[in-house]
Amino acid sequence: MNIVIIGNGVAGIEAARTVRRAQPAWSITLVSEESDHFISRTALMWVVSGQLSHRCIEPHERDLYRREGFTRVRARAVGVDLAARRVLLGGGLDPLPYDRLLVASGSRPRPGPWPGSDLPGVGSLVTLQDCEWLEGALHGGASHAGRPPNPDAHHGSSGPTSPYWPKPAVGRPRQAAVVGGGLIGIEAVEVLVAAKVPVRFYIREDWFWPMALDARESAWIAERMREHGVEMRLGEELVAFEGGERLEGVRSSGGTEPADLAVVAIGVQPNTEWLKGSGLERDERSGGLRVDEHLRTSDPHVFAAGDCAAVRWADGSVRPEQLWYTARDQGRVAGRNLLGEDAVYARGPWYNSAKLMDIEYTTAGLVGDVPDERTFFHEETGAVHSTTRVVLSGDRVVGFNMLGRRWDHSVLVRFIEEERSLDHVLDHLHEAAFDTEFVPPLVIPAGGTAGRRNDDNDDDRPRGRA
Amino acid sequence: MDRQGQNGLLSTFREGWRSRQASAWLIAGLLIGFYLWLYFEDRGWFPESMKLMDPAAQAVGLRNRWFLYGFLYCLAMVGGAVYYLRRHGNSRYNQIRIAVNLLVQTLLAFTLPFVMYVFTNQDFYASYLWPLKIEYLYPQTLEHYPVYIAIYCVLAALVATPILALTLGKRWYCSWVCGCGGLANTFGDPWRHLTSSSTRSWRFEKVTVHTVLVLAVSLTVLVAVDFFWGASLPRYHSVVGELRSLYGLFVGAILAGVVGVGLYPLFGPRVWCRNFCPMAALLGLTQKLGRFRIAVKPDMCISCGNCTTYCEMGIDVRAYAQENESFTRAACVGCGMCAHVCPRGVLKLENAPKGKSLPVVG
Repeated sequence: MNIVIIGNGVAGIEAARTVRRAQPAWSITLVSEESDHFISRTALMWVVSGQLSHRCIEPHERDLYRREGFTRVRARAVGVDLAARRVLLGGGLDPLPYDRLLVASGSRPRPGPWPGSDLPGVGSLVTLQDCEWLEGALHGGASHAGRPPNPDAHHGSSGPTSPYWPKPAVGRPRQAAVVGGGLIGIEAVEVLVAAKVPVRFYIREDWFWPMALDARESAWIAERMREHGVEMRLGEELVAFEGGERLEGVRSSGGTEPADLAVVAIGVQPNTEWLKGSGLERDERSGGLRVDEHLRTSDPHVFAAGDCAAVRWADGSVRPEQLWYTARDQGRVAGRNLLGEDAVYARGPWYNSAKLMDIEYTTAGLVGDVPDERTFFHEETGAVHSTTRVVLSGDRVVGFNMLGRRWDHSVLVRFIEEERSLDHVLDHLHEAAFDTEFVPPLVIPAGGTAGRRNDDNDDDRPRGRA
Repeated sequence: MDRQGQNGLLSTFREGWRSRQASAWLIAGLLIGFYLWLYFEDRGWFPESMKLMDPAAQAVGLRNRWFLYGFLYCLAMVGGAVYYLRRHGNSRYNQIRIAVNLLVQTLLAFTLPFVMYVFTNQDFYASYLWPLKIEYLYPQTLEHYPVYIAIYCVLAALVATPILALTLGKRWYCSWVCGCGGLANTFGDPWRHLTSSSTRSWRFEKVTVHTVLVLAVSLTVLVAVDFFWGASLPRYHSVVGELRSLYGLFVGAILAGVVGVGLYPLFGPRVWCRNFCPMAALLGLTQKLGRFRIAVKPDMCISCGNCTTYCEMGIDVRAYAQENESFTRAACVGCGMCAHVCPRGVLKLENAPKGKSLPVVG
């Protein structure tokens, strides 16, 4: 049996390892345009700062491909011939025949829709090549530990429209702009702050990351960013990137301000454009490949997993899940189905965590747009600064948003699945505590009751118990 | 402040002296030179005019070069602690641990022996125990100490150490009390990412560290036999004397000093602790049977590699975290850095009763 996997990200590698464990003799080929080794994309920000080296973000030892007998092809896949079962490669390379194919080509950064988005000095922080571009701009190149191995191996089959094509080098910026108030945006801000480059943070919405945080929570994060010298531009719509040879300024609804480096972080989109016209069904709205619960595409020999697959969510909607742990799980399910099994990908409740500057963040379940929504909110001050937000639908706890402390999301998810009341959850919240040792435990004073959420003054409500 | 987690990004791999560049080799050369003089200048290998340590000690009014070394050791630890706490000091665990380290070093390992020497002409380092300080179970040593010190040496090494290691893990000693660990976590901290996390280095460690442990235990037995029957076995007595001095030379001077500290800037601050310390080997075996573990929160690891990179003992923490496995490794000294640098709060050091596992959902 001949398995071909497009992409050696977490979904692709997990699928390949799953197949290999059951079938030592099958041929497994991984095609990657981006890198020789599987890397943790979520760790690029630390490579830019120098906290990690390129080697550090490879989750396996470098002999993985040899040890597991994976064939590695560093090339750009440009299409699939479903009838002949062949993957077409760029640069005139011979097509790759397959018996079963997995598309795990991930995401690419969503390009800015504004004029000047292609000026040198405008980039993103999603691909390895983005990381190298930013390393070059901020630090003059890779750290002492060196560049990733064979960074240019794909050049023969790739081209300037690819997200993995090297970005034009720019010198050290005097003023940077970051556009887009989400996770990658704040990562870019952190990296620029660490490199001592002045940053303006343009966020279209009224506060940072409204998808995940409420106004009180976000105000704390914004305060922390301002303490680090970040100029917050909240509620400002971008109009254009300006400049001749390279970026010189950013025009927004608030006016024009100089900037010679901009990181656009307005999300990612499935990396599936190369499959247009192949006959594989794409979800038009998201661009993800349509898959059934077995992650099988419209062609029975082709599967899709990770960021490029539009899967059915717990709420019934169909869209890609752009998360590390779901890509890993999807890769494992796809691997079993490449083996011929009938494994089902079932999406559990939503959870996630992050670090916003130095503030810990954990979320689980639904924290917005809940029917008959009520909210319990507690802000802890003193030795530890933290916020605890428990969201209820009627009397039933449906979500958590926690800042400033570490929580075991699996316990929070269990509270939600057991449809617990607020009293039960507050009494048992310590079971979910995951703080490091000697951190004083969270104590929520008795008598806290959930107030009905008052949406119209949510934005400027002083922080405190609601 | 949030009392846990990392505060601000590090620039580790962009600093030459921390990335095996020329400056790192220079620092290693200076450290190795220092230890060569410290251990070997009175072995008759150097001409009298090249002696440095004893004359320097006398010049500042200290009795011998070991007190000078103790003083410099304290100084290096204080300087290193300032560096460490500037980077990682927002964490309570780090604050308390480093404070205890400094107190133990300055009081038990410097001031106490210093004062004791003035009154009794003997010194005693209460924070060093058998088998790290191998002579502290030699009957020959014990008979010269006041009886309460002899009792302390025996009880601390044979009773307190295993009990504490079973309940709190190896860390109670290796990263809270021990002077070698204290120096590694302060002065040596800038180089902690240089410890190799490869499978090969793990294999090497398991062979070497347990070999030294076997040597230490065997030597202790041989020396004890010599104490009781050596007078009637002159040949045995002289062989044991040779072995004692060889062990002191290779393990005490070369591995713990010259290699252990001299190679900080090239191979990380735990070369000695990880690969050669018999105390660490013994504590590690005990730890495997005890309650200490690193708990892993399920399905939250993003495989970034901060934990593995900053593990000074070369444990590939990420390999466990990304497979949702809570674990206990013999090598782990419980410094807490993996949990500290984890951007997703996946890791937690804990002393959990055996069999208790995290509730796993979904």
